[in-house]
Amino acid sequence: MMKTKIKFIDLGTHYKSIRGEILEKFDEISSRGDYILTEELEKFEKNISNYCGTKYAAGVGNCIATAGAIVASGARPVFADVRNDYNIDPEIIEKTITKKTKAIIPVHLTGRSADMTKIMEIAQKRGLAVIEDAAQSIGAGYKNKRVGSFGIAGCFSLHPLKNLHAHGDGGLITTSDDAFYEKLLKLRNHGLKNRDECELWGYNSRLDAIQAAIGNIKMKYIDKWAQRRREIASMYKESLAEFAEMPEDKEYEEPVYHTFVIQSDNRDELRRYLAERGIETKIHYPIPIHLQQPAKALGYKKGDFPAAEAQAKKILSLPIYPELSNKQVEEVINGVKSFYIGTHRNNSLF
Amino acid sequence: MGSGTDALFLSLKALGIKEGDEVITTPYTFFATIGAIATAGAKPVFADIGEDYNINADLIEQCVTDKTKAILPVHWAGLSCDMYKIMNIAEKYSLHVVEDACHALNAKYKGKSPGTFGIAGCFSLHPLKNLNVWGDGGFVVTDSQEMHDKLVLLRNHGLINRDECALYGYNSRLDSIHAIVANHLLKKLDHITNSRIGNAKFFDKELAKIPGISVPPRDSSIKQVFHIYVVRAKNRDKLQRYLVQNGIDAKVHYPIPMHLQPAARELNYKEGDFPAAETTCKSIISLPVHEFITREQQEYIIKKIRGFYDEN
Repeated sequence: MMKTKIKFIDLGTHYKSIRGEILEKFDEISSRGDYILTEELEKFEKNISNYCGTKYAAGVGNCIATAGAIVASGARPVFADVRNDYNIDPEIIEKTITKKTKAIIPVHLTGRSADMTKIMEIAQKRGLAVIEDAAQSIGAGYKNKRVGSFGIAGCFSLHPLKNLHAHGDGGLITTSDDAFYEKLLKLRNHGLKNRDECELWGYNSRLDAIQAAIGNIKMKYIDKWAQRRREIASMYKESLAEFAEMPEDKEYEEPVYHTFVIQSDNRDELRRYLAERGIETKIHYPIPIHLQQPAKALGYKKGDFPAAEAQAKKILSLPIYPELSNKQVEEVINGVKSFYIGTHRNNSLF
Repeated sequence: MGSGTDALFLSLKALGIKEGDEVITTPYTFFATIGAIATAGAKPVFADIGEDYNINADLIEQCVTDKTKAILPVHWAGLSCDMYKIMNIAEKYSLHVVEDACHALNAKYKGKSPGTFGIAGCFSLHPLKNLNVWGDGGFVVTDSQEMHDKLVLLRNHGLINRDECALYGYNSRLDSIHAIVANHLLKKLDHITNSRIGNAKFFDKELAKIPGISVPPRDSSIKQVFHIYVVRAKNRDKLQRYLVQNGIDAKVHYPIPMHLQPAARELNYKEGDFPAAETTCKSIISLPVHEFITREQQEYIIKKIRGFYDEN
């Protein structure tokens, strides 16, 4: 196999684009020795709450994956199938609500907002809390509001693979609810109301000052980077729509394309073909959550969520990140095209 | 792990500790110890401390009930608990031992390191620790393959590989940047430890001469690494204020024991339940003992303390 020419994601190049700024800040913080719950974090939280359109944001140490977070908090995850944008289908949500339902967690997958008006209507009607999993979608718009500003809480990840990322694990929670915010601040810091008094037994989940500083630097570029992602998405869509199923932006949304996911009946072959040409792709993800081992105990089985299952077999994520040059995008496009047009497709099994 | 707190929490989770279980620990510790037990779903049950500020092993047995699943000793201030006694009790009642060794990296107890007695030894890399990183961080040591494998799953979403999940887990990973810092500092750990021990010895010798200060008994067969240097002081609050006014970063770790915290209200403890811990919290003071402090600075601190008691 050929050496990778086009990486699926290129964090090194990304870093180099803002290296000077980061090193300077890093040196400043480290020389002060000011690492935990600092002004730098407060500044980042302010930046994020302004950006997302919420009253508050709280930095936390990480982002536990959706189903894991539900189970970790002691609840039972109940799944509703997805639409063609890979996001939860509001029409199906209502059918899954029982007396025990306490919350809806829509995931804004791939950098695209779930259909929040409908979801908020259902939540309101049934008295449920909405916690948005916006881990992949910082900055994504829905009817001129940003994701993370609809529910009581918007949860973001700063994991290195995310559009806005730190140099390690990190996360953020946005909210406009005073009591909720106060509780979060305590829970992330051992339940402390001051240095010596603990109001409730809590956790330790704090965003390091260094990570917050990196976040602050990147806030200057976040919209520019999102714009570049949309440009790349447009290039892919214009050239490849006749070959594979492309994401179609809904009229209500402004996507940030954390991933660019196409669907192909020959997904695995296409992926191998591109890999042979040095083009790295990924599958997000080949096995839906309800078919993972721990979901067996929840009583789910194959066939329960046909849309998610069908997508899992066909989806392929193409490289998309701000540092990708037009030439590289062209190369990916040509790779996909030649797979479909060329004779290779028929011979590819040999 | 993402922190020392998570090291404790995930160790308890890996052992299957859950709601309805009880974990015996000390009322004189940092909040994270109790937070880890409580957030794992279990009930913390306290046994009072001894002269050395650590859990009094002789008081543990009477706390054991049908619901007890583990003992969680805390090696406070870098001094090991009486681990042989604790391990015997654990064996007798088939209890797990998870050690809170967040203060005690590089310490020794009769030739063995705290953190290596129980099924899991939990350490913190918080910026204030002897071995510290540039943010929150922690780790667990264990000799159990099963414990190790479970921890590796739990800290990373329960993933066996990129695409398959074996159990619902958490996200608590030590960042590479922090690991690089820790690896670098590890080479200096002996130097850091020895500096702290040297500084503590100097304080011990000089402070013993001051009537208002009571230095805890030291056992020369135990290597204490002095994450913090704690003595008992008469008129503590006034002394602390006086030292701070004189530019000395004197602290109290901590003024309120765990059973009297607002968070403990549901555990139904009251004042008087753990007299040793309560007296300790009222009288202790921590003096700077880190590796960068100079003899002159220490002498200044001692002079100020002496001066304080001459006047008070």
